[in-house]
Amino acid sequence: MAETARQILTAPVSAPPGEPRRLADVPEDRLIELPDGLVGMPHARRFALVEPTQPGSPFHYLVSVDVPGLGFLVCDPCRFWPGYVSEVSAPAGMEGEVAVLAIMTMGADGREMTANLMAPLVIDLRSRRGTQLVLDTGRFAPRHPLPALG
Amino acid sequence: MLILTRKLGEVIRIGDEVTVRVLEVRGNQVRLGVEAPADVRIYREEVYRAIRRENQEAAIGDIAGLDRASEAWQKQHGKS
Repeated sequence: MAETARQILTAPVSAPPGEPRRLADVPEDRLIELPDGLVGMPHARRFALVEPTQPGSPFHYLVSVDVPGLGFLVCDPCRFWPGYVSEVSAPAGMEGEVAVLAIMTMGADGREMTANLMAPLVIDLRSRRGTQLVLDTGRFAPRHPLPALG
Repeated sequence: MLILTRKLGEVIRIGDEVTVRVLEVRGNQVRLGVEAPADVRIYREEVYRAIRRENQEAAIGDIAGLDRASEAWQKQHGKS
């Protein structure tokens, strides 16, 4: 996902340090819509993508507008696996530029982070609509440990 | 549960737009061909369950997880 793509996707919910970042601050047209929801979570359809406060952090927080208390740590898989995105083909009907996000898990102390490369989110940048693809090819697992960068 | 018996090459239809054809039967394995509109999501059951479980286990309740991850990241990469 290019830097511009990240800017297009990211909802402006930045708040002054110490202030809570509120979902109510996200304008409707900055939301991301997954019409089918996530796999196993069909009601979680509309999300906001929240930027990290730490500069340079490769992570974002994808928070559900529909399901209170539901959110995911996500990353741009390009930052860690440069060749990965070329393995993800956009679903039918998504001809334009797309962004790819991977849902992550992490241990309690913020270590042991993994990314779900088997089921990425693919989002059409123009319409801000997307889907969770399932790559059932045997090449990607639901928990790829994050490689160390440089 | 609706139970149907089909022979090799025969089809069942689900609604107007989804068909399932028996392509091959070999021992205890059956190959099926599913035709459905592009917006119908088709998974092997165990794959669906695995991804659903991953989504459930990846869910975090608040944005503090983003700060925790970003701070751990900065520590590892020497940025302040």
